[in-house]
Parts: sequence; structure tokens; C-alpha cells
Amino acid sequence: MPSTRGIEKAPAGTFETIVGKRSLPYIFLGPALALILFLLVAPVVQGVFMSFLATRGNGAVDWVGLDNYRILFRESRFASNLRSSLFYLAGNLVLSAPLAYAAAALITGKHRQAEYFRGIFLLPWITAPIVSTLLFRALVDPQIGPLGILISRLSGRQVLILGHPVWALVFVTVHSFWRSFPFVMLFLSAGMSMIPREVYESAMVDGAGRWKRFTRLTLPLTSNQLAIALLQITVWTLYDAETIYAFTNGGPGYATETLAVRLFKSAFINFDLNTSAVIGIILISLSIVFMAVYMRLVGSGGGDAQ
Amino acid sequence: MKHATRTLQRGLVWLAFLGIAAFVLLPLLWGLRTSFAPDLDNKVIPSFLTLKNYSELLSRPEILLYSRNSLVISLCTIIVVLPVGLIGAYALARFQFVGKNLGFVFMIIPLLPAIAVLVPLVAYMNRLHLYNSLVAVILVNSVFNLPFATWMLRNFILANPISIEEAALIDGCSRVRMLFTIAIPMMTPGIVAVVVYTFINSWNALIYSFALTPSPTLRVMPQGILAFMGSWGTQWGGITAVGMLALLPPLLLFLIFQRTFVAGLFGYQLK
Repeated sequence: MPSTRGIEKAPAGTFETIVGKRSLPYIFLGPALALILFLLVAPVVQGVFMSFLATRGNGAVDWVGLDNYRILFRESRFASNLRSSLFYLAGNLVLSAPLAYAAAALITGKHRQAEYFRGIFLLPWITAPIVSTLLFRALVDPQIGPLGILISRLSGRQVLILGHPVWALVFVTVHSFWRSFPFVMLFLSAGMSMIPREVYESAMVDGAGRWKRFTRLTLPLTSNQLAIALLQITVWTLYDAETIYAFTNGGPGYATETLAVRLFKSAFINFDLNTSAVIGIILISLSIVFMAVYMRLVGSGGGDAQ
Repeated sequence: MKHATRTLQRGLVWLAFLGIAAFVLLPLLWGLRTSFAPDLDNKVIPSFLTLKNYSELLSRPEILLYSRNSLVISLCTIIVVLPVGLIGAYALARFQFVGKNLGFVFMIIPLLPAIAVLVPLVAYMNRLHLYNSLVAVILVNSVFNLPFATWMLRNFILANPISIEEAALIDGCSRVRMLFTIAIPMMTPGIVAVVVYTFINSWNALIYSFALTPSPTLRVMPQGILAFMGSWGTQWGGITAVGMLALLPPLLLFLIFQRTFVAGLFGYQLK
């Protein structure tokens, strides 16, 4: 990234002399900061506050301290929510990274067909989550979906994938993987295109094979991009409520109910605002942990990564 | 011998390209097929093609309403995000001021969970008398697109040589005028990328509307799809047709601006 030089000379007799040169950057940043402060920071603060309150049956609101947290942490449903979230997240990351590397290597290489395929590979990324959800549901429909029919033929009976506690979770994870890998691929491709070709050429002269070149050169030289892309995916996966809600409603039972789905249901369907505030705070805390990791990674010599 | 291995290698590369493409395209193409196929036809190539699903859809007034709402929200979000993001990005890229290092926050904020902020936001919008209005959805969409858009534009401004701007200033051009006549026109690709990015995100967003506009007349396309999925059950022809319609605007924008869009998002030039 090029270093920034401020422009210090400004002519007189213009807008700047009226408002004062010093205040200009703040005026320029003002609208953005105001929007973020009022509609992002303030709600977070209020969310923290709400998580310490309980609404009684008669509508009265009491300060209950950490009671909401205590109640939630003791629930077996909450433990299941956490497990589903972690499975959903880990599954997505483990599947996305290898395919993203393969796809990035393909679209970054000097193949004539690369540009067309890059466009195709990016399609999941621009598809609305609700649209890809309906497309994936059509795929596993036992009557007309090719995957649903295939699985029914193989197992000899009609299988409702989205009705099975384990397969439902696996299937929503695969869907999330389908949506996520193109983004990781783009980041990795950006990283790979920054590696000078001479690095590979000298490795080849030294007799390094394809696999060795990947593990010794590509992998370490793109680790920054990988970390940042996976972090963004982590956050998206952790907060994704709408796709699972539209797939299974969190079921069967609570099998696919992740923290985000629980929050979504308790906030906008059951209107239990205090419980959802607590889950919201838990999600925010998790994301702060990830942000710290992010800052560290970008701060430690990875400054050229966007 | 060498020729044979090269052919083999080329074949393997093609195989890899096609394999990933198949994985990506399977749900999309199956959806496209189903939207043109007669009901309950489960052959890979349907026995005949029909426009029935689309003509039934387009005869429903709510489809038009939902698309209109989605379009209004997406365009208004762009109208808020672009100017606010541009001047903010310019300040971050070109000015020296106390607190400038906090500009980093713009990169971090996208990592905040929208869903966690929504509950207090609903209470907020209620107090501002904006609950159940498109304005609320536009504001929330803007806030969630703004940080990344600002950061993206900042990188674009940094990539432009500062000397042209300096020359204009020395020649007596005011900074505000210079911004509009020189700096902004130079970063058209960045602006295109931000517009496409913001449009696709706002067009695809579901939960903000779900939380903020319960009224059926204010529904956006994704909300409509969720409702159809609930009430139409397994009428896959109709459901996939709605999905294809909703996919069309982002797809067209993406196809037209792919190169600029990708380069803009990642701040690097693709071949």
C-alpha cells in the first residue's frame, strides 16, 4: 500500500477558509461516523443493557443482572445451539479452504479458459442466501430433486434429508460451503497473483515438485489472505440465520438450531427480546475475539493484505 | 513423450475446471430447469418446456410490489452509501488529522453481527417512528454497507497518484472543486465496484426487512420468497421461478461489470 502524503497547500478564499482547514477531514468523515455511531454503536450498547433486563408478564421491566445469562448457560438447548454453530462453522471452513485453493490456483494460472470459469465460480457469492436455499431444497426434494431421488434409490427407501438430525446439519453446512468458497477463492487468488513468478522458477530449478511448491511456497505466502478470508467467512457463518431458518426452521428438534437461528426465532417470532439480546451479546463477544485475531494478523507484517 | 504429458496435464486442468463448475452450477441449472418444467416432472431433460410458472408469477400483483420495494431500497441505499462513503474515503486517504488511525475501524465493523444489532435497532426505529417503513430498511442497509464501501474507496484513492491532485491545488483549484473535477472522475472503477456491491447486498438482504417491516405491502423480494416457500410447499416450478427472477438483477450487474467489480473489491488488477 502506498504511503499517504497529506496535501498541505490549500488556496485561500474558498470553502476551506470559511469552515477552517483543520475541520475539513472531520466534516468529510462526519456523515459516515454519525450513521455508524447512531445505528451501529448505540444499538450494541443498548443490546448490552437489554441483556441485563427481564420483562415480566405484566409488561414491567426489571434489572436482573446476569440472571438471563445464567439461565441460558444452564439450558441443554443452549449447549445444543452452541454445538450446532460450531459444527456449521468448522464444517464450512474445513470444506471451503481446500476447494478455494484449488479453484484459486486454476483461475490465477495462465489458462485461457480461466476468466470464464472465474465468472462461473463466483456465482454462489452473488446469489441471495434465500435463493440458494430454495435451490438446494429443490435438489433434495424426495419427489423431484435429483439428489433426493438418488439417495432414495441408493438406500431403497424415501429419505427426507432435511428431516434427519445429522443429515440436515450436514446438508445446511454443504450449502454454506457452496456459498462461501468463492469468496475465499478470490482472496487467495489475489494473494497468489502477488507472488513473483521467479520464486516458483527457482524452486523448480532446485527440483521442488508440485506438492512441495504448494506446501513450501504457495501456502505460507498466502497465509495472510487465507486467514482474513476465513475470518470473514467465520463471521458470516456464525451470524447466518436466514438460510437455516428457511431450510429446517432449526429442526428436526433443535438439531440445526445454531445460535443465530435461536436469536432470530426468539427475537422476531417469539418476541423474547431479552433472551435474544443475551445471545446477541454472546455473538458479539465471539466476534470481538475474532476481530482481535484479525487485527493481529493484519498488523503483523500482512499490511498489504486488504 | 513430452507432448503426451502436456496433453494429459491440459486434460486434468480442464477436468478440474469442469468439476468445480459442475458443483457450482448444479443447483442453479437444476433450478432453471425446474422453473421451465411441468409439475412433478423429474426427468433430467423435461418432457416439454413451459412458461406456465413464469406467466402465473407475473400475473400476481405482489411480485411486482416486492420487486419495486427491493429496487427502491437498493437504489436509495446506493444514494446514501456512495456520497457518504466517497467523502469519508477521501478524508481517510488524503488528509492528515488526529484520529486518522481509527480509520481502521471501517475495516473491522463489517465483522459485527448484523443480527445481534437488529433487536435494539427495532426498538430504536420504533422510537424514531421509522419502524415498519422502507426508510428504516434503507438506513440499516446503508450502515451495514458503508464501512466496507468506504474502505474500498479509500484504497482506490490511495492507488491514484497524488501528484495530479497536488498540481491542481497549486494551480489554485479549491480542494472541494478538485475533489469533484479530478479525484472522483479518476476513480470511476472504484465507484462502479461500490455501486454493484451495494446493490447486490441490498437486493439480497432479508433479515433487515424481516425485522423492520412486518407489513405485507412493504415486503422485499427475499421476504416474499420466504413466504412463498412456506405457503407453496413443494410447488417447485413456481418457487424456482421466483428464485430465478430474484437472481436476475444481481446476475446481470455481475455479468456486465465483473472485471471492474472484482478488481474494485480486492484492489488488484486482474489480467
